[in-house]
This record gives sequence, C-alpha cells and structure tokens, in this order.
Amino acid sequence: MSVVGGDAESITAIGPIRRTSVVRRIGALLRSNEEHVWRWSARTAAIIPLAGLAFVLSVLVLKAWPAVKVNGFSFLTSSAWQPGSTYGAVVHTNGVAHPPGSSYGAWPLIAGTLQTSIIAVLIALPISIGTAFALTERLPTWISKPLGFFVEILAGIPSVVIGLWGVLTLGPLLAQHVYPLIANHVPNVPVLNYFRGPTGYGEGLLTSGLVLGLMIVPIIASTTRDLFMQVPPLPKEGGEALGLTDAEVARWVTIPWVRSGIIGATVLGLGRALGETIAVAMVSGSVLGHVAPNIYGTMTTVAATIVSQLDSAATDGTGFAVSTLAEAGLILAVISVFVNVAARVIVNRTSHLSAPVGRDS
Amino acid sequence: MDEITSSEAAARLIDNELSRLDPDANRPTNVISTEGLNLSFGGKSILTGVNMEFTRGTITALIGPTGSGKSTFLRTINRMNDKVPSFKHEGDVKLDGESIWGSNQDLLTLRRRVGMLFQRPNPFPMSIRDNVVAGVRAHRIAKGKQLDVVAETRLREVGLWDAVKDRLGDSPFRLSGGQQQLLCLARALAVGPEVLLLDEPTSALDPLSTESVELLMRAMTPALTIIVVTHNLGQARRVSDKTMFFYEGRLVEHGDTAQIFERPREASTDRYVNGLMG
Repeated sequence: MSVVGGDAESITAIGPIRRTSVVRRIGALLRSNEEHVWRWSARTAAIIPLAGLAFVLSVLVLKAWPAVKVNGFSFLTSSAWQPGSTYGAVVHTNGVAHPPGSSYGAWPLIAGTLQTSIIAVLIALPISIGTAFALTERLPTWISKPLGFFVEILAGIPSVVIGLWGVLTLGPLLAQHVYPLIANHVPNVPVLNYFRGPTGYGEGLLTSGLVLGLMIVPIIASTTRDLFMQVPPLPKEGGEALGLTDAEVARWVTIPWVRSGIIGATVLGLGRALGETIAVAMVSGSVLGHVAPNIYGTMTTVAATIVSQLDSAATDGTGFAVSTLAEAGLILAVISVFVNVAARVIVNRTSHLSAPVGRDS
Repeated sequence: MDEITSSEAAARLIDNELSRLDPDANRPTNVISTEGLNLSFGGKSILTGVNMEFTRGTITALIGPTGSGKSTFLRTINRMNDKVPSFKHEGDVKLDGESIWGSNQDLLTLRRRVGMLFQRPNPFPMSIRDNVVAGVRAHRIAKGKQLDVVAETRLREVGLWDAVKDRLGDSPFRLSGGQQQLLCLARALAVGPEVLLLDEPTSALDPLSTESVELLMRAMTPALTIIVVTHNLGQARRVSDKTMFFYEGRLVEHGDTAQIFERPREASTDRYVNGLMG
C-alpha cells in the first residue's frame, strides 16, 4: 500500500531513527500519515456494522432455509406448533430431514408480536408526550430535573426485572381488580367485544402490552422531552399572545414542530416492543398454537417463542426445530425493517409543514 | 349553513367587524391606562412609576436604550410576563377602565383583544391558511367555509394575498422573512383585536418589508390602537402620534412625537433622539 511507501521518507525526515523506541517510531509513522490512517480507520469503522448485519442476516437465512423449504408459505398463516415424534423414523420433505408429524405455523406469533407492540405504543405514546410536557413546560426545574433523571433510569431497568414484577404483581392485580371491570362493562359490539369474555389470571395479551408499554415509555418520553426543549420559545409565545390555551399551543405548535422526531422516537419504542423477549415470555402465558381469543387471553410472540422453545428445539436431532425458530427470527427481522421503512414514509409525508428541529425563529 | 355563499358570509363578517370596531361613545377615550405601575423580576426593579394613558386609535412609540424597560412594559399589557415566576407588578394596567388582572378578566379574551407581533416572525408549523385562522378557530369566531373567507380577507388586508393565494396549503417557512411577518400580522388581526402591541416588529426585516409594515400600521389606525417598541428612531418619527422615552427603568418623558423629537424637555431625551446615547 502507498501508506508504507510514504512512511520511510517521512520517518527519515523526522530525524534519527536508531535512537527512537519502537513505540515512538510507530507514533511517528501514524503522525506522518495521519490523514491516511484516519481515512482508513474511518472506512473500517463504517463497514463493521454493515458487515455485521450482512453476516447475521446471511447466517439467519442459511439456518432458516431448510424450514422455509418444508414449512412453505403456510408458515405465515398456520397456527400449528407440533415438533413431531422424536422416536419415529426421520422423514424427508423437499430433501429436508425432519421428525415425523412435525408441523409449524407462525401466525399466532406474528399476530401476538403485532398486537402486543400496538397496545404498547397506544399506551406509551400519550403517556410519554404527557410526561415530556410535564417535564419541560409544567414542573419547576427542581422537580423536573430529578424526575427526568428518574425516567431515564427507568429505561435502564433490566427487562427480566420488569417481567418478574409483571408476572408477580401487575398481572394478578389487574386480573383481580381491573380486567373484570372492563370485561363486564364493555358493550358487545364488533371490535369492542374483544375486551369481553374470560379475564384469566393476569398472564396474556393485555398484560404483555401494558408491560411493554411501560418499558418503552422512558425511550419515547426522554426523546420527546429533548425534542420539546428544542422548540424555540417564539412560536409558542405567539400562540399564547394570540389567546390560545396551553393545550392548543401544545397541539398546534409544540407537537407539530417536532412531529417527525416524535414519530422517530415512537418507532424506536416500537422496535424495542417488537423485539422484547424475556419480559413478554414471562407475562404472556407463553401459550403456543392460538391467537389470543380476547384481549386478556394467553398468547406468545415471535421473540418470546424463540427464547422459550430453543431448549426443546435443540433436542430435535434433525435440527429442523431450530431451523424453524431461525425462520421465525427472520420474520421478526423483516417486520422490524418494514416498520422502520413505513415510519420513514410517514415522516416524509408529514414533515412538509413542520419546521426543522432547532430552527432559530 | 352550507348554502350561504362566500360573498354573503364575507358581508356578514365585515358587518360584524365594523360594528365591533365602531368606537363606542360610552367607552373611555383612553383604551389603556397605567397607574403607578412598578415592574420587577426577582426583586430587581425594571420599571417604576409609570402613569400613562393610550388614546384610542393612536400609534404610540416606545423608545429608549436596551434595558430601559420598554419591552417589559409592552409585555405587561397582554400579561405575557405573568408566566415568569419571578415577575411582580405593583399599580395597575386598565383596559377600557377595567384592570387587566381583575377577577372578571379572562386571560384568553384579554389576549384576543390585545394582540401582539414579535421581533421576529413566528409562524406556526401549519399551512399558511391555517396560520391566519389559528386564533379565529381557537376563539370560535368562525368555522368551516367561513375560515377561508377570513383567511382571504386578512391576507388581502396585509397585502399578502396575491403572493400566497396559490399556495395557501404550503408551509409558511418557505416565505421570505418579510412575508412571514405579514402573515403573523394577518394572524393577529384575524381575531379582531382592539389594541396591537408590536415588539420591534421590523428589526429583522429588510427596508421594503419594513416600509410595508409601517404603511399597514398607519392604515390600521384609527380602527386599532397600536403600541410599538422600536429602536429605529426614524420609524418612531414616521409612524407614531405619541412617543414615550424610557431610560434606566423610568418613563422619562412622553408627549406628541414631534415634540419629543424636536423640543424634548429632558436632557437624556435630547441626547437619545439625537443619537448621542445608544
């Protein structure tokens, strides 16, 4: 490389080489080629995440491929989850070995992932915006500073701890005191009748959605708070001076000013909710084979299934169960990418009226 | 309501407007008066002992060096200072003879009656048309199709209609600074204020836009009472009927603009209007 060629000259130019230590020689070499070194390391650094992503995706595809060949398109629509017999003779479909009687469908997992994540966002978004408002506009600094810190700490609580709290405290509490109340008072009309019926023991769809919502509130709230702090005071004062209420200023000025940022924060939270594993595995009931019959029903998600089924899948000598889990993981990755793309489209559509963040006017 | 044609609606709106703007004989000549007004932030006195009366339909210029308290005075009239926790006031400001801090005074209504234009244009992040009618919507002055009429009327009033009529749905942030400020003026006028407070409204504008704002100020009186803070002494001279000179937290002198600029009574006024003090 030209890097080396350039070195020799520069080093001689620097001075007597013989007396310098190896460390100093390397230092001199780096300094004399600072520009080259910088550019080279920057390029490497830029490629690493890309290469990592490509590596993970290709391994995932490779692992999932046998399952894709056997399960076919019906993997997306079927609800079955039958590992098959570990004692019978191995059978072959499309050249792939798998246990006899094995049959897999990911529809309940996909539906569960989307359902829990949507519930989480529906709950977390208004709470987060409210929190961000309270922190930036309502509360005096001596309260908002520590409270903001507290919100950020909430983001750092391990999900297994939140899951434990969800399954031991929140779930039973809701199942005893809250869910029956909702179920008995919601009218029996389409859509809302999903809120009726047996309320279970606190492990299920709504509990999972609530726990996920709680987990993504800090993500959305702290980002939204930072965004609100960047809204210049002048447009807000303009609203006040026009006789708008605080709520109107919020709805018409502050939130639209940073709308695309809030959408971005929401997608960040949604991404977390889609991929959250252990907390959901703990509070969802981890029941395979069916979509939650009502909002309190037990269910599972793609991520929770992968973690809860991996042990038993490893006992499948043909490797087909593991391959199926890889296929489920692939679907989860596709959903995440799709959500991000959709968010970008929404941001592009809605941002033509909002001002650039940090705009000084 | 839908059958009403826009011209009928426009006629009615203008009628309402005229009846509202018609100077009522029963109302005091002084739309705003201050009595022994002392203003302070966190115990630090900003302005003391201001007794002043603003005659309906006139333009009053507030001049004085930076930090003289004139902007604080202006922002007190529509109670913009009230949200600053350390802000304290003594004495009183009266709008049509009633204290602006009185218990029967609704803050939102006060701000509808006393509009404000700021140092720099501050459009809302919504379409040009929605900007104009934002206040009208909030105060429920008009709705539905009437809003389009309001938008057109007000944009014509500030001379912006021809420039924006084909892009009413566009972002206001693509307009020039001068156009944005005119848009904000249209927005302030749309709610039918009685008093308009202008806080250095042209300090961020080019000379041409400045001129159109000044012409509008003249055109808006005597229907409106205008109080304008300005560092531009030429502007104070050109547009105002009365001038108030603030210096070091006091209202040093006030009177007819010609008198303040040509025969000031106080030495500090003389030095300031003649450019010997900044």
